[in-house]
Amino acid sequence: MSVIATPARQSTGGISARTVNRIVIYGLLALFALFYLMPLFVMLVTSFKTMDEIQNGNMLALPQAPTFEPWLKAWGEACVGLTCAGIKGYFWNSIKMVVPAVLISTLLGALNGYVLTKWRFRGHTLVFGLMLFACFIPFQSVLLPMATILGSLGRFGVTLRNATGLSFGLGNPTVNLVFVHVVYGLGFTTLFFRNYYEAFPTELVKAAQVDGASFFQIFRRIMLPNSMPIFVVTVIYQFTNIWNDFLFASAYAGTGDAMPMTVALNNVVNTSTGVVEYNVNMAAAMIAALPTLLVYVVAGRYFVRGLMAGAVKG
Amino acid sequence: MAFLEIDGLRKRFGSVEILKGIDVDLEKGGFLVLVGPSGCGKSTLLNTIAGLETITEGEIRVDGRTINDLHPSKRDIAMVFQSYALYPNMTVAGNIAFGMEMRGVPAQERQKAIDKVAKVLQIGHLLQRKPSQLSGGQRQRVAMGRALVRDPKLFLFDEPLSNLDAKLRVDMRIEIKRLHATTGTTIVYVTHDQIEAMTLATKIAVMRDGEVQQFGTPAEIYNNPTNLFVADFMGSPAMNLIPATIGGNGNALSVVLQREAREPISLPLADAPTGLSAFHDRPIIFGVRPEALTDPEGAERNASNIATADCHIEVVEPAGSDTFAVTNLGGKAVVARLRADANIQPGTSTPLAFNLTKAVFFDPATENRIL
Repeated sequence: MSVIATPARQSTGGISARTVNRIVIYGLLALFALFYLMPLFVMLVTSFKTMDEIQNGNMLALPQAPTFEPWLKAWGEACVGLTCAGIKGYFWNSIKMVVPAVLISTLLGALNGYVLTKWRFRGHTLVFGLMLFACFIPFQSVLLPMATILGSLGRFGVTLRNATGLSFGLGNPTVNLVFVHVVYGLGFTTLFFRNYYEAFPTELVKAAQVDGASFFQIFRRIMLPNSMPIFVVTVIYQFTNIWNDFLFASAYAGTGDAMPMTVALNNVVNTSTGVVEYNVNMAAAMIAALPTLLVYVVAGRYFVRGLMAGAVKG
Repeated sequence: MAFLEIDGLRKRFGSVEILKGIDVDLEKGGFLVLVGPSGCGKSTLLNTIAGLETITEGEIRVDGRTINDLHPSKRDIAMVFQSYALYPNMTVAGNIAFGMEMRGVPAQERQKAIDKVAKVLQIGHLLQRKPSQLSGGQRQRVAMGRALVRDPKLFLFDEPLSNLDAKLRVDMRIEIKRLHATTGTTIVYVTHDQIEAMTLATKIAVMRDGEVQQFGTPAEIYNNPTNLFVADFMGSPAMNLIPATIGGNGNALSVVLQREAREPISLPLADAPTGLSAFHDRPIIFGVRPEALTDPEGAERNASNIATADCHIEVVEPAGSDTFAVTNLGGKAVVARLRADANIQPGTSTPLAFNLTKAVFFDPATENRIL
């Protein structure tokens, strides 16, 4: 706040005052940027150092002899609990869980937004209000009820398997996590798409109706192809949230083969076999953070644009 | 039996009645313009014909077939929207062909239809562009192409020209008129621009507050408005509506107009409407269009009832083709339309000719025409 208030107060003071302001503003911004980037920098340099260098050198110093050894070890050999096969398996666990969860929740959110703006029904504001409410539920409060529901679904899966030979994924921890993330992501994805489609010209939908397109044809041919910015925003938001989720992951898949990356990382750090291998831990953490970084780099410019579009018009 | 028939159409949103019993019909090949101020229900009426809004009561028939409950795509209509509503993700060709694609027309026939329409509208060179790469006028053409390609029974236009600049609007207006003349299609057209209504229509429905105020040919609407609203709404510059009283006696009535600081003008009426005798010595509204109030040399030669009176000219507006002079009668600014070269100075008095054959009279209480 002080950064914004400063130029307003001194803007009448002539060129020299403006220059001072600029210096103060950019100085502060640089300071904050440094403050934010420092941990990342430490992680990055540490992950390329040998244990000797970490124990004897400066934390901020650049690696003397950069080595990829910690990264390889984190990927393929680090111990998670009792198994020492690296985090690669858990990395794929996360991918298998995140990709369907993001796609399903985004598509359902788009569908909800489409219905809530272009096919309005009596009480649509109430329905939207209730969906919004889902955004404000503290996730700790739903852990136990959700566990009960997942338990019932698991038992139903067993019944199904006994009857038909197929459980349809019910009871599978990955499927459970996908389900949980879709349910709790819907509030946000619906909010994003509703606000975007609110500003979407209704005449396009009317024109398509006159052209004879059906409900889903309009959705697929008219709405979705014109939703790229908000689609990217939602995907980034959902991907980051679900990938980084630790609470649901540890509660519903905290042990066993389906453990996602976040839980595995926690276990890597907590597994102590004598010396704490900071370089391996940092490399594992970097690997865990890479996919979200990648999503930002690839789609980041849409993120800003999409947020603006939703904010201004919605 | 008319081609398009609308009987007792009502539309309610909850307790609010948007359309209060509309009765309109249009012959095949006709051009119906729905005109009125914003919020009069004209667009809602068009949307009910298109099937984009449901109706509460009444019936809509096209070519003898009731279409009340049919889906928009089953009504054999095509619509041009105010914003053109071109699909931004498709090329011009894709836009034009989308309807055919939805109806499962084979690709070869689609291409043939696209080419034909592109030739009519001269948009052949634009077919592979996206709507965002087109100018306003080009988008307008593509929107019309998308409607034309369906070859529907009925065309619906929802204020199609209101997003264009003034010059382009005139060009496109002529183009639409030419299109109507060459293809002979039946058109329903919504606008708030009374000049568009006058120039395009074969029939005009003037609407206000969900009711049709008057339905008739442009000439009927212009020359014989049924009430004050229609008289005031149609025509530019608007009709002069001057508070006046009826003087004279039994057989020879006259209109008495008050003037500032001078004795009133009395204009003798040769063939006054019969209803007017009941208003003897009572206030009325005297309506005269600017072109029926002119300099004596410019007055219509074969009009049977012309009265001349001296008027004090307050403002002179040379508009190029005409000169408009503003005087004050009955406490209102009154516009007279004079020849372009009329020698007239503001602040002087000059004789003006009132063409009383064209004059109309309204009851100030009911706002209806006195006949």
